[in-house]
Amino acid sequence: MSKLKLEQLMKDLANSKLADGMHLSIEMFDGEDSVACIKVEDREEFPIYMTVDDGQILCITYLFGDDQVNPEKQAEMAEAMLMMNVMVPLSAFSKIGNQYILFGALSPRASIEELLHEIELLSDNVLDAIATMSTYLKEAA
Amino acid sequence: MSIFSKIITAVRGGATEAGQAIVDTQSIRILDQELRDSKAALKDAKTNLTTIMAEQMALDRKVKDLNTKIKEHEGYAIQAMDKNDDDLALDVANKIADFEHELTIQQGILDGYDSKITGLKKMIRQTERNIQAMDREISVVKTTEKVQKANELAAAKFSGSNSALNKATDSLERIKERQQKREDQSAAAVELETEEGEGDLQARLKKAGIVDSASSASSVLDRLKKQKGKG
Repeated sequence: MSKLKLEQLMKDLANSKLADGMHLSIEMFDGEDSVACIKVEDREEFPIYMTVDDGQILCITYLFGDDQVNPEKQAEMAEAMLMMNVMVPLSAFSKIGNQYILFGALSPRASIEELLHEIELLSDNVLDAIATMSTYLKEAA
Repeated sequence: MSIFSKIITAVRGGATEAGQAIVDTQSIRILDQELRDSKAALKDAKTNLTTIMAEQMALDRKVKDLNTKIKEHEGYAIQAMDKNDDDLALDVANKIADFEHELTIQQGILDGYDSKITGLKKMIRQTERNIQAMDREISVVKTTEKVQKANELAAAKFSGSNSALNKATDSLERIKERQQKREDQSAAAVELETEEGEGDLQARLKKAGIVDSASSASSVLDRLKKQKGKG
């Protein structure tokens, strides 16, 4: 059921462009055909992983790992992320394993336009988030 | 323990394993087991409810039956009294007292069943909600695990190493550079278009005779000769 839904969403997305004309490339990214990998043109470094289950459509982007965070500023960064969660439009910070992520969740009944809007905002938010959080990250080597 | 705290245990457990699996597979197995147990308990509760409801119906019939019998015998007692047969009336009255005694007992049991059924129904609704919540949570935990695997796969494809992701700030710089380049390109394209547009305008002005069309070597020479003549 959710696999079919994911395949349908991928098809719909492949035929769409973002509002600023950017193209999307989409591929299945695991052996079980349950995670789609969406890349926004020119922003391939931060792919968006999309999954569908009965409860929600999840769009997840990895920001950086624990190893990139300045250990002295880690608590401060976590608090900043918590406080920003409400303010960031449609996306929220979280953590999977030792990786910080930004994600958005939609109803499985969301339209393709809503999904596109979500992807566009998430992609913008990721760039903003990394720029903002860079003060908590280790200095570039 | 609430479902949230169980999930946090599962996720935390996994996170400590050197960043490999995001969820402690053991915790997920336990959650899955609990979900199965809850579903089994729900099935049992539903069977239980059906049995109790059947028993309640039987009791209800018995109570109604007793009420009918009491009314019936009250009629007999009145008829016996009408016929001045006090002995018979007393016997019937005794019978009625027996029925009423039985009715009090059965009605008490029936009332007990009613509250039992209400309680069971409430419990079943609660269990169903819990199961739905558990199902959702476990599904999200499993999903994030799949995403984690996909990301490791992607990282391995990009850098040939499955642990070291590219530095986020470096990636951001690269994206910004690309964006700048794209903007520069489109700005250059606009400039070029404008210049071409201006060239076109010059040509049209010349054609219209507004701008000197014969700005050639000979016309320059003529002009210089005139200047020399004046001097």
